[in-house]
Amino acid sequence: MSQTIEIDGVTVAFVEGQTIMQAAEDAGIFIPHLCYHTDYSANASCKLCTCRVNGRQVSSCSTLAASGQIVESNTEALNSERRVLTQMLFVEGNHHCPSCEQSGNCVLQNMAHRLEMTALTFPNFYPGRPTDASHPDILLNRDRCIYCELCVRASHETDQKDVFCISGRAENKSLAVNSPTGLLADSDFTADDAAADVCPVGALIRKREGFATPIGEREYDLHPGQAARIRPPTLPPLPPLAGRKIRIATCSLAGCFGCHMSLLDIDERLIDLVEWVQFDRTPLRDPKDFEADCDIGLIEGGVCNTENVETLRAFRKRCKVLIAVGACAINGGVPSMRNGIDVRELLETSYVDGLGVDNPGIPTDPELPHILENVSPIHEVVKVDYFLPGCPPPADAFWHILDSIVREAQPDLPYDLMHFD
Amino acid sequence: MSAALRALARYENDPRAVLQVLRAIQLEQHGISAADQAAVAGALGLPRTRVQALIDFYSYLHDRHNGNYELYLSDSITDRMLGNGRTAAVLRQELHLDANGRSPNGQVTLTMASCTGLCERGPALLANGHAIQRVDAARARRIAGLIAAGVPVEDWPGDWKAIDDIIERKGPLLDERITPGGAIERAMTLGPRQALAEIGASGLRGCGGAGFPTHRKWEFCRDADADQRFVVCNADEGEPGTFKDRALLKGYAGELLEGMAACAVTVGATIGYIYLRHEYEFLRPRLQEQIEARRAAGLLGRNLLGHHGTHFDVEIYMGAGSYVCGEESALLESLEGKRGIPRIRPPFPVTRGLWGKPTVVNNVETLCYAAGILEHGAAFTGHTGGEPGWKLLSISGDCARPGIYELQLGTPVSAILDACGAQDAQAIQVGGPGGTLIAASEADRRLSFEDLNTGGSFMVFDATRDLLDVATNFTHFFAHESCGFCTPCRVGTKLMAQMADKIADGHGARLDLDQIHRLNRVMTQASHCGLGQRAAVPIIEAFEKFPASFQRRMEDVEYKPAFDVEAAIERSRAIAREEETAR
Repeated sequence: MSQTIEIDGVTVAFVEGQTIMQAAEDAGIFIPHLCYHTDYSANASCKLCTCRVNGRQVSSCSTLAASGQIVESNTEALNSERRVLTQMLFVEGNHHCPSCEQSGNCVLQNMAHRLEMTALTFPNFYPGRPTDASHPDILLNRDRCIYCELCVRASHETDQKDVFCISGRAENKSLAVNSPTGLLADSDFTADDAAADVCPVGALIRKREGFATPIGEREYDLHPGQAARIRPPTLPPLPPLAGRKIRIATCSLAGCFGCHMSLLDIDERLIDLVEWVQFDRTPLRDPKDFEADCDIGLIEGGVCNTENVETLRAFRKRCKVLIAVGACAINGGVPSMRNGIDVRELLETSYVDGLGVDNPGIPTDPELPHILENVSPIHEVVKVDYFLPGCPPPADAFWHILDSIVREAQPDLPYDLMHFD
Repeated sequence: MSAALRALARYENDPRAVLQVLRAIQLEQHGISAADQAAVAGALGLPRTRVQALIDFYSYLHDRHNGNYELYLSDSITDRMLGNGRTAAVLRQELHLDANGRSPNGQVTLTMASCTGLCERGPALLANGHAIQRVDAARARRIAGLIAAGVPVEDWPGDWKAIDDIIERKGPLLDERITPGGAIERAMTLGPRQALAEIGASGLRGCGGAGFPTHRKWEFCRDADADQRFVVCNADEGEPGTFKDRALLKGYAGELLEGMAACAVTVGATIGYIYLRHEYEFLRPRLQEQIEARRAAGLLGRNLLGHHGTHFDVEIYMGAGSYVCGEESALLESLEGKRGIPRIRPPFPVTRGLWGKPTVVNNVETLCYAAGILEHGAAFTGHTGGEPGWKLLSISGDCARPGIYELQLGTPVSAILDACGAQDAQAIQVGGPGGTLIAASEADRRLSFEDLNTGGSFMVFDATRDLLDVATNFTHFFAHESCGFCTPCRVGTKLMAQMADKIADGHGARLDLDQIHRLNRVMTQASHCGLGQRAAVPIIEAFEKFPASFQRRMEDVEYKPAFDVEAAIERSRAIAREEETAR
């Protein structure tokens, strides 16, 4: 007779020796996870699969199913913990989806979607771990490693090579390569190893194949899982509109204006928009300063220099609700890839040694803004009320958010409008 | 012969002893070079990353050469209260140390370390493995002079290294009522079932902090189906503020070894290990002598007490600097020569422990009490007849008489404060950073498993102390000691440390407190072991009980930037100024 457990009210059969995760998987019930993989022994380190079993929280990938267990998994409390864990992994590494070859195939990104994560809220660590490009076929980008240890297990259990090993502890933890030089090229690693294909993020990727499948047609673009609709965090209340137009200001800090271009991509709906929106300070119009206090400020780009800080503070002061728009505003994005490089080196590379520099010299004109040591997301400098991810967020996402505001409804975005790349 | 070859030879090229080999090389030549790492990996047949992983994991192993004087200054809160800041400043100045703590000629390295266990006699220094006590500014100056003159640490004044334990109050254990062989003999006479019943009747529970009933642990191990069992003594006393095991290992090693042997007889184990923390190297030679003396006396080794066919022997294994290794399954990993990562449990060590065999892991104090109980009966701890048991406390901080106290469970905090002469206590941290912070107004609370549970740490803070500083120190301790295995602890402890600094530096706001609570919920619920589960608690308890400490340094605002924006501009401003001047 088969034994059963109950997962979120569903009776699930299991065979002796199966974990809760395996039983759930067989029954087609999805429990979020990153370090678990059907083919390898349980690691239980990412903790995303934490479930409540008979009132106690355990890792479902390493807890054996036992008759009569009442398992809670898909609850708001557990999903909100999982969201925090996902945020932790995002801020710990450099997870810049717009510039990552794995985007769309990335399990971490997919977890963020499934768990309705729209922002990081914690300060980013911006590690500068060594990248290893020595191997002819595979690139190791440690800044993207989430320490799931799947490559360690695959190399040990399937390939029997022990190419990878976790070294160190706490924040000095690292993924080490077993070779005399510590380089992948000098190890036994080959492109047909199981470990070469097991990385759930973009830490171990195949060279020259990064964009063989275009963005938008990848695994999670086509099969997002349960994340059909995303409820972003609650939009703070606005003063009653009472028939007047919403006053909106926008700006681009350290960004590329791509988010502004995307906003303009609402095309003919712009004509509808101006019926109920009054644009204040914005590069879409001329004024360089605020004409009045605004309801909404849309900020594109991260904070790179003193001018950005000043602009951002002015927006915070004059806008009731501040929305971080796009990857750069939310986690620094591409400009933050300079983080970790010394300021002098940056300035010298740009103004002294750089290719094509004429009349070299670091500018000292007091009119010019000073750059900060790091490019930061805007929520690290001012309080941000709302986050709209994407690089850029699609025009329809802008439309959806603005439309929700006018209707005084909470936004509820379909999956394809909420993405990180 | 090189240090590496000597160490390999001493451990007979046994891969299981890899950590011991690396530690021996480190102590002898103050660093483990790439060549030594390759030699060790080659000789032991291990991937070289395994060797590197250990060096990177344990605080006292290094792949760089640290010079002839490897100094570690204990940076626990009690060391800070005793002025280790001035000690560090003097050493840095007199020895001309750079920002990384290295001297210009590379012969001295100073590193700040987690609690080294001399809490009542700090500031404490570890110099080439030697524990040096009471290193105030004057002593630091003398140390700098000795180093400048090239005097080896072995020849430094003996009284600096004489760790004479201050035993302030004795109970049944410290009264030395245990006779060599007494417990072993009686355990044999009683037989396992009755011996277990005796321990059970005594009410003895694990003294390391977890409080698991000792007889049940022994019974699970005994009942597990196996061809071999182990007894492991957890002498990795790393909880800041705890030094009672140090005193037991020094003055009561006979009781400990008796307890281990009696446990072995009861559960059917043949091999025992004492996992001794690296910082207690100074206890090792004497402990080793006692092991040998007991072998000679028939109290260890083959044919215990002349009983044919019995066998139990003990070996000392050294840690290499990791707080997590105090957790029993992480300790076993370390004993097996791996990084100290807590295992997935169940299975628990009693069924699958060292090398997969059933293993009893008990704290030093637990095994000492077990010896007393098995020799004298359950009444030894006075637990029978409704009396609670006893507990050793290590008392440090702001009190007239810091030291070791053997107290009955149930003793109120007020009585403890009176006993140690704490006149002006503002707060007490019971059980170390992972324990509980109580205000002096809670002094009617009692030392017990149900109320104030402690592995032995009892740190007193008087009215002059800022509890936010205390909590910040603890928070950094956890971030430094996190093994990094699981997400909530690895990232959470670092975020907590950043948040604590932010508040302590005067940049905290209400939303930071919300974030701390949000982090705490996840760390408590999802962390792999107790370290992560407790790491956010010090800040939260300090805020709840001593809000004034926070209010002094926080404006009542909702939000403040995550970093000091002005400071972040300074570097590029300075470069512009330099360029302007140069033109």
